[in-house]
Amino acid sequence: MSIWSRSESLLRNLFRRNKVERHLDEELQAYVALMMDEKIARGVPAEEARREALVELGGVTQVKQAVRESRSGSDLESVGQDIRFGWRMLKRSPSFTLAAVISLGLGIGATTAIFSAVYSLLIRPLAYPNAQRLVWISNFWPKIHMDTVLSPDFVEARSQTRSFEQLSAYTVGDENLTDAGEPVRVSCAWVTENFLPMLGAVPQLGRLFTESEDKPGGPPFVLISDRLWRHQFNANPAIINTSITLDGGKQTVIGILPPHFRFPDLQLEPDVYGPQRIDPDASISISKRLTNLNVIGLLKAGVSAPEALAEMRTFYASRKASYPPGFQSLMQGQQTRVEGLQRHLTGEDRKPLLILLGAVALVLLIACANVANLQLARAGTRRQEISVRGALGASQTRLIRQFLVESLLLAMIAAALGFAIAWGVTAVIRRTQLPEAASINLYTQAVPLLRLPFGKLSLAIGVDGWVLAFTLGLALLTTLLFGLLPAWRGTRPDLARFLTGPAQRVTSGREQQVLRQILLVAEVALGVSLLACAGLLTRSFLHVLQADPGFDAAHALTGVTLLSGQRYQAGETKNSFAEQLVSRLEKLPGTRSAAISSILPLDPYDARSAFMMEGAPKPPMGMRPSVPVISVTPGYFRAAGTPLLEGRTFNSGDSPNLGIVAVVNRAFAARYLHGEALGKRFDLNSWEGDPRPVTIVGVAVDTRHGGMEQAPEPEVYLPMAQFPQAAMRIIVRGDGNVALLSQAMRNAVTATDREQPLFDVQTMEARAQASLGQRRLTTLLLMLFSILAVLLAAVGVYGVFSYSVAQRAHEIAIRLALGSARGRVLRLVVTEAVWLVAAGGVIGLAGAFFLSRLLRSMLVGVSAHDAVSLCVAWLVMMAVGTIASYAPASKASRIDPNALLHAE
Amino acid sequence: MAQAESPQTNLLQGTLDLLVLKSLSTGELHGLGVSRRIEQITGGTFQVKPGSLFPSLHRMEEAGWLKSFWGDSENNRRAKFYRLTKAGERRLGVEAEEWGKIVAAMASALGSI
Repeated sequence: MSIWSRSESLLRNLFRRNKVERHLDEELQAYVALMMDEKIARGVPAEEARREALVELGGVTQVKQAVRESRSGSDLESVGQDIRFGWRMLKRSPSFTLAAVISLGLGIGATTAIFSAVYSLLIRPLAYPNAQRLVWISNFWPKIHMDTVLSPDFVEARSQTRSFEQLSAYTVGDENLTDAGEPVRVSCAWVTENFLPMLGAVPQLGRLFTESEDKPGGPPFVLISDRLWRHQFNANPAIINTSITLDGGKQTVIGILPPHFRFPDLQLEPDVYGPQRIDPDASISISKRLTNLNVIGLLKAGVSAPEALAEMRTFYASRKASYPPGFQSLMQGQQTRVEGLQRHLTGEDRKPLLILLGAVALVLLIACANVANLQLARAGTRRQEISVRGALGASQTRLIRQFLVESLLLAMIAAALGFAIAWGVTAVIRRTQLPEAASINLYTQAVPLLRLPFGKLSLAIGVDGWVLAFTLGLALLTTLLFGLLPAWRGTRPDLARFLTGPAQRVTSGREQQVLRQILLVAEVALGVSLLACAGLLTRSFLHVLQADPGFDAAHALTGVTLLSGQRYQAGETKNSFAEQLVSRLEKLPGTRSAAISSILPLDPYDARSAFMMEGAPKPPMGMRPSVPVISVTPGYFRAAGTPLLEGRTFNSGDSPNLGIVAVVNRAFAARYLHGEALGKRFDLNSWEGDPRPVTIVGVAVDTRHGGMEQAPEPEVYLPMAQFPQAAMRIIVRGDGNVALLSQAMRNAVTATDREQPLFDVQTMEARAQASLGQRRLTTLLLMLFSILAVLLAAVGVYGVFSYSVAQRAHEIAIRLALGSARGRVLRLVVTEAVWLVAAGGVIGLAGAFFLSRLLRSMLVGVSAHDAVSLCVAWLVMMAVGTIASYAPASKASRIDPNALLHAE
Repeated sequence: MAQAESPQTNLLQGTLDLLVLKSLSTGELHGLGVSRRIEQITGGTFQVKPGSLFPSLHRMEEAGWLKSFWGDSENNRRAKFYRLTKAGERRLGVEAEEWGKIVAAMASALGSI
């Protein structure tokens, strides 16, 4: 009954408020009238009676307020009131509201954008079942740069280790798909039969491999991706149980993977899956064919990665005993790794992202400090209003609550703006593709994916529910940050003072002035720190750009084809292909030189060989140094624009009968031959074969392989005629716009062999740019955020000094009236600003000193305490701050003392 | 500010409610009438100001213990009258009993110094 009655009242109070108020009013009027009647009856005159009655009532407003407050729904109603009131107040000072909304909106927007990237890439669990139990396992052998698990070890680990519910492995490669329209190069993965089930892949048609099919000599079954099925086979379901031709061999398609399955590698999305077919014999010997496997394991429930790592270490320690002696020395310094799959996939991207997140959080802090400052200043001008309201009966709590509601309203509007900004920024990140490859005859999805700064996960960056929740959380947090302090300070109950007059206004707000100045200094410091760090990264980037890459990226077109299958088993067939192709390429219009190489500049090395210098003591097999080797046709150095410092390139006179010739790079000559390399000899070994003597006939400049940022290593170039390769990477140097030669290049390849696909065609410049993609994006974003921070700080300077000038208008007017020159007033204000900005700048530099340590790993060629970056940052801030203070200063100098003083 | 916030306010509120209920137990009254009645039945000890009376009346009406209606006063003035509901009568009984216990306990405690 009571509840019903209360709810009734609640609803009535909320929705029929006018009626309720009217009734109360009438009731009180009646009360007064009755009271008057009483007094008149006792002989008091009517006027007197009325006055007395009102006095006894105690003030109509107060009584009404008391009744209102005791009503149900009064809390809700008053919050509603606060919102409406806050909205009106915000509308009344549009410049403040605009400045605050923009500052906060930018801060929240930038933070949310970066957070959504962090969330998508680092936090959101991978889309596999039990993703948190998936781990990446590998064994790193530093001597031969091998980071993998050998197949016999894998077999043994499967039966011997206890930490894993499953161990699966894969290798990747490319093959030519022919007999299905145009020949294409497809990316393939060979997986153990438990790999796909472990990752939750359920075929949309057909089936997966069975255990019995995943053995050496098993049936030639493959699975294909949804993408391949749709593009190459028109989504024809009849493809199941028919065969396709891969590298000349027939494979039967037994299933099609679902469209949303993602291979656990950021750069690859294989289109064909075949069984790994591991030899079940777990012994290791030199003569045995070993496979380097990528291993993903599923931890048993309750087992942690470190525990599994400990077990793997013990496992490898005991395995070592069963290795042949040569292997054991190769294994020296090996490191076993077991890390979470997600962490492994995003490892390298972590640092730049977290740096960006830190930067953007700083920007947000600056924005909050700005708005807090503006609030404080504005609270100063609202003192009278506040004191009157206090006198009318509002409690301090109520006033604070109302200010907070106003701040929250502001934050919500800013959050809406920020969310829109974040949405836009993430759309841009998704679309940021580095220069488009002039790719033809290639699974075009693969190339743009490779070019995105964070691999294929970049496509997943977007704003979703979690990000929205984050934005709202930020709105609340910033409300507290910038709203609480001004609200508390602005509503303190020293009300009487502020009703007394102008004299008070001169000295009032002293504390607030100091507080504003502190906030301003903090803002400036943060801005300078950010700008200095951005400067460091920019200088690093420029350094990398300017460093001599060892090749000429301009006017060069590249492409790749791989010879595979039965036809190209023998070395002579590869050579014949190479020769024919090069001669065709050289005849292309506008071509100056053409060549084929096993790898191109900036590619990672794909082959290494052990070697021994002539006359040096012969250490045992496993202890010999190894060097990357590159097979090239004679025209390579001209085509790549890698000048020879000494000697000559290969020519047709270099036949195998006369001994092997080689060209080494400067680093090799410096490290092993004290710079005197020409004519010297050394022995090349493969791991199992006889040593082959090599004579050095030329020395080339150092070329960057593995990326623009990698330092050059010693390298050996060998003639392709004597070291034929299946991987043929073409480079053609021409005049003018070489990209136009793409089709001609393809025609040359198909003219040499109709079934060879040409892929990954792009200019050398595009490859160079791509190699720097992530660094460029990070540097750009950081610079953008620091400029934002500096601008916000400038707005802060302007805002604070505007209000300070308004506050002290009276004092300034007096000065001017007493004869002070206007220029003096201007200088006064500007000097004050300059001092503050300088102080903030110095603190900021100190901050940058420490922050730059975090950046150390990303800095190239620039020290973390680089004086130039720090000084430039400080100077920029000084300039900006001084300019920002000019406007309020000039306004101060133009105060008309007569107008102001007479108005009092 | 509303009436003085003294530490006795809470006690006063409960006591006030009880007095209001009691004063209405003999019949319906308008606001001023309740105030005069309380003054009368407490022998002049409690003079209830409108700032406390009206919140109390409205609160109890929302709780369902009183019901209000517009009527004419002695002098033919329109005024808002209140009367007890059944629930209000029950509440009066319960509260009076509670109060009796408190009084007895206090008397016993204070009497045994």
